[in-house]
Amino acid sequence: MIVSMLTPAELVWLMAAVAKGDQAAFERLYAATRAKLYGVVLRILRRSDLADEVIQETYLKIWHNAGSFDPKLATPITWMVAIARNRALDVVRKKGETSIEDEPGAMDTAGEEPNPLARREMTEELKRLLACLGRLDEDRRRMVLLAYYSGWSRDQLAVKFDAPANTIKTWLRRSLMEIRECLGS
Amino acid sequence: MTMDEDRDGFAAEYVLGTLDAEERAQADALVLVDQDFAAKVREWQRRLGELNVLVAPLEPPAPVWDRIRAGLGDAGQSGVLHLPEVAAPATAQNAPSAEIIQMRQRMERWRGLNIITGMIAACLIGIFLVRGYRPDLLPPDLRPTQQVVERIVERPVEVVKEVVREVPSARPAQFVAVFQKDEQSPAFVMSVDIDKRMVIVRQVAAERLPDKSYQLWIATQPGATPRSLGLVEPNDFTVKAALNDYDPAVINNATFGISLEPLGGSPTGQPTGPVIHAKLLQITPPPNP
Repeated sequence: MIVSMLTPAELVWLMAAVAKGDQAAFERLYAATRAKLYGVVLRILRRSDLADEVIQETYLKIWHNAGSFDPKLATPITWMVAIARNRALDVVRKKGETSIEDEPGAMDTAGEEPNPLARREMTEELKRLLACLGRLDEDRRRMVLLAYYSGWSRDQLAVKFDAPANTIKTWLRRSLMEIRECLGS
Repeated sequence: MTMDEDRDGFAAEYVLGTLDAEERAQADALVLVDQDFAAKVREWQRRLGELNVLVAPLEPPAPVWDRIRAGLGDAGQSGVLHLPEVAAPATAQNAPSAEIIQMRQRMERWRGLNIITGMIAACLIGIFLVRGYRPDLLPPDLRPTQQVVERIVERPVEVVKEVVREVPSARPAQFVAVFQKDEQSPAFVMSVDIDKRMVIVRQVAAERLPDKSYQLWIATQPGATPRSLGLVEPNDFTVKAALNDYDPAVINNATFGISLEPLGGSPTGQPTGPVIHAKLLQITPPPNP
């Protein structure tokens, strides 16, 4: 299978076909999106065996729930990544909060902006979001990005940023509200 | 901080990923029963989802697809249909076979859907006690098939009604019960870890009254005398290992109630104030067959 870049409109079309039970369309949807979803979940899970499982579960859920996808509410890729991240986060949270000790190297390797080369693909929305993130203090911004990209818990952030977990929670929520305000929608 | 900001913050952190397992379970439950919360979650997915563009794509191992395909059902004939783009206008010769293939696929798809719908139904039937159907509490796509969310607000415990429900086979699962305050807002969300016999109650929109206590009750079967599981603490969360005396199957089928009592709890050992009821809803059903 060749990974083809599909436009959002093409993905919507594929989703509609998948909702009708079209397995070939599902295979094309998989081909077009698997690398993005795998990249997202592997950053969070950091273990390929877990990532494989999560990707399987994610696509089965996509197959079964394609009918409930509503293009008015989300783009297909946002919807699919949300399902994948959700599942990955469930797995890391249930694994417990010991993973920092388990994986001493994890903290250093988890960069915040995973792929600067992709900047040329930036949408206007992403540029706006990054501008809003840029208005946060550096530590606050790093917290948000570590949480989003690497699935760090409040407890893990508390260790890294040397603050009680409750304070982290307050900071995160404040940052998120500032982002919302800055985006204006 | 207002309740609304609090809920939006909860939705935002849910999407960001920083809620712990328990809070995630509660957020999952809220998404199911509270359209307003579900909309907040979608908004955050839209806002933060832009960040996905920057994640470097990475190819999953090839066997992953084989396992996904195997999980689609017993179809296994995906090779038959290699024309996803545009179905060519059916000629007289190939029309019948194409139709049969399509029908077969559709049927398999529906079979899959029915199994899922059945599982959801098994989870939902009788979750909340009777006082009028509340289909609007369900996500729109669940409404036409199963109008099973029922609730009762401020009824004495004696009206517990018998409901038939199947319980999905035992697998690690999260159970939650949502205690509705009114149509709009859950007053409490309770989650249960059946293995550890733990209950966690999150106070969502219940009014905090300084001179009153909320008390949690369990009725193991319809008509049974409720037994106290203790007070709901005046915090966001109450965590109790309160179910040690109960068997998982009993917990599964029990009705839970939260009553408004004088400060310190019911003086009689039975609920004396208004009660809100709920039953358990399994929110991580077993993987699809």
